[in-house]
Amino acid sequence: MANISLIPCGDFKTRYAADTTIFPTKTSRNFAILGVALLLLCPAFMDRYWLNLCIQIGYLGIAALGLNILVGFTGQISIGHAAFFGFGAFSSAWLSNSFGIPVALAIPLAGVMTTAVGMLFGIPAARLKGLYLAIATLAAQYILQDFFSRADWFTGGTAGTIAEPFTLFGYAFDTDESFFYVVLVYMVVMYILATNLMRSRDGRALVAVRDHYLSAEIMGINLTKYRTMSFGISSFYAGIGGALYAHYLQFVSVEGFTILFSIQFLGMIIIGGLGSIMGSLMGTAFMVLLPEVMQAITTALSGTAIDAALNLKDAIAFLREMAIGLVIILFLVFEPDGLAHRWKQIKAYWKLYPFSH
Amino acid sequence: MTMKTVLLASAAVVLLGTGAANAQKIPVGHLADQSGATSDVGVPFGQGVADALAYINKNGGVGGTQMDVETVDYGYQAPRAISQYKKWSSGSGKVAAIQGWGTADTEALTGFVGKDEIPYYSGSYSGHLTDPTGNGPHGSKPAPYNFFYGPSYSDGLRAMLMWAAEDWKKKGGSGKPKYVHMGANHPYPNAPKEAGEQLAKELGFDVLPAVQFALTPGDYTAQCLTLKQAGANYAYLGNTAGSNISVLKACQTVGAQVQFMGNVWGMDENAAKAAGSAANGVIFPVRTAAIWGGDAPGMKIVKEISKVSDAAGTAYRPVHYVSGICSAFYMKEAMDWAKQNGGVTGPNIRKGMYQKKDWVPAGLEGVCVPSTWTETDHRGMDKVNLYRANVSGDTGGSVDELVKAGTIKLEKIATVDVPRKPEWLGW
Repeated sequence: MANISLIPCGDFKTRYAADTTIFPTKTSRNFAILGVALLLLCPAFMDRYWLNLCIQIGYLGIAALGLNILVGFTGQISIGHAAFFGFGAFSSAWLSNSFGIPVALAIPLAGVMTTAVGMLFGIPAARLKGLYLAIATLAAQYILQDFFSRADWFTGGTAGTIAEPFTLFGYAFDTDESFFYVVLVYMVVMYILATNLMRSRDGRALVAVRDHYLSAEIMGINLTKYRTMSFGISSFYAGIGGALYAHYLQFVSVEGFTILFSIQFLGMIIIGGLGSIMGSLMGTAFMVLLPEVMQAITTALSGTAIDAALNLKDAIAFLREMAIGLVIILFLVFEPDGLAHRWKQIKAYWKLYPFSH
Repeated sequence: MTMKTVLLASAAVVLLGTGAANAQKIPVGHLADQSGATSDVGVPFGQGVADALAYINKNGGVGGTQMDVETVDYGYQAPRAISQYKKWSSGSGKVAAIQGWGTADTEALTGFVGKDEIPYYSGSYSGHLTDPTGNGPHGSKPAPYNFFYGPSYSDGLRAMLMWAAEDWKKKGGSGKPKYVHMGANHPYPNAPKEAGEQLAKELGFDVLPAVQFALTPGDYTAQCLTLKQAGANYAYLGNTAGSNISVLKACQTVGAQVQFMGNVWGMDENAAKAAGSAANGVIFPVRTAAIWGGDAPGMKIVKEISKVSDAAGTAYRPVHYVSGICSAFYMKEAMDWAKQNGGVTGPNIRKGMYQKKDWVPAGLEGVCVPSTWTETDHRGMDKVNLYRANVSGDTGGSVDELVKAGTIKLEKIATVDVPRKPEWLGW
């Protein structure tokens, strides 16, 4: 057992490359590869319901990671993320419907279009901070939502638009089993990209801006550039996530991209852990699975002795909504650093067992 | 035999037994909004569907086979509806049909239900869903497995505009009457906007720019002042009851003299109680031929169905409840036909919907409006019953008491024939 651990006591790194490696040991790398390999097998034994949840975690996880780069790593705030997610969805549908661009190509292009829009709305970020910036991004949410419902040429107006299924070499990925792989590939690539970004000079600059913008500026970091860039990167991720969503559902409607959805994205990264790549995915999974778990509990509760004794009846539906809210509040009270932090503690526990120090 | 073995064996027997029992049942999904943004009308409609399905099960089911109905509240959240749909459409427990709800989720699921061949009876009556082949001239996408009971939002509005044109003449109004479309800038209120404005122009209305108000209750005094200044004569309220009540009250306060025309979901007995005298005179389409307390042969069964969730039989049921019953019964009759013609599968249920013309489910005569669906046209209803809400006096008591006392009265004012014009298909 001692061999699979891990990192010897003390710091023996002699190069910066070793210091910034993604996987500290071979074992951790092999586990990551094994994890992806196991995910590849999912369609073989999961039914559509579970696959759908996994696909949701995938595309929402990509968008949530974008928001985490902005909020968690750069210290900016955005409450308009759902609008960028929607912009990506509409862009990809528009590109493939109007210009016949293959969906496989339309998705990254939609990401680029969303980046442009994100940077445009990110301009105020160069001057604004905190609450002021939050309100500026709120404007982005409303402006884009209104744009979606009016721009018939782009979005089909309030009637929505059809998005073609994802096809590659004539094969349509239009089932949950096949689309799962599309999302998985995108997710792995986007998460590796983000991990690498954070190891790079630019990524460190973003963190410096978050930690102390004045010190960062004195060190020669161009605040305007990095803040706007962060908005761009965040929007790119939102755009890719949105495009995947569009081609999965094959229909996009303005109704889906509300302020509530933006707040849910914030919930995902706060629960997962601000400033954590892995936390973004954990938080997304939590937010996607929680209502399902609550649904299962309330369904199981319905018609039982507890239901009869408390005379719950219709209130069961509301019980679920309240429970979701309560779980989130409890989570924030008892685990404010997010799931990623808890995961680190679990790892530390096993590493140090049986000695706690 | 140890205790553990006994327990495991009994668990296995129970599981197998349940599996066998479920295998004989017909799985049916029921998606309802009991806690979301449209729960004001979603609750009574969903209750109607659930009670009707339970009643059918109690009285022999579908040709002797029970339905295994799962009712799920999805809180009007499309992603949740999609997850639930995936659950229902996968594995051995794949549902034969679904009773659905909202516009966004129904439209998002249209492609899936078409591919999976699962008939989907929605609470969304968007004109897009009436075109099974996608050949309609207004670019609608194919919706071969979508059905709904009632006039489409567009046809409901067309009927009210036809009535309004006559009404203007009767009243001896001079010049062109002014028509305005009102509602949130969202798919549901906007679904009939173009269709309505186009017909209004053809009927000689002066069409004013649309006035927007959110889907949630709020202060809409500004919108009412706009109506007043523009001199609007007829206004369509495209939202659900909650926000419409706010508009009606605000317009009463500012004294805007407008004939309001509500959506199918825009007015009911509960809304009339909440809006009080402001709701007096509002016109709206009612999907059934008779409402609660009405005199029709089918009302007997409706009352029996109501007892499923109200054993005392004293509850008052709003118009949406009765419509929910019709929606469930059309599905049931199509299932009956499917059972006798190759089994209760999605494609057979769909075929079952096409077997009769101008039909009413057995036992509900005089309640459900005769409807016809064909392979190329899913505009089931071409006769639209228009009702007027009459509110006199204080609306302080329960709806039941208010209706009994005559303080709230829904009065049928017209039945309008909306022609099935080919150019209106899917619009």
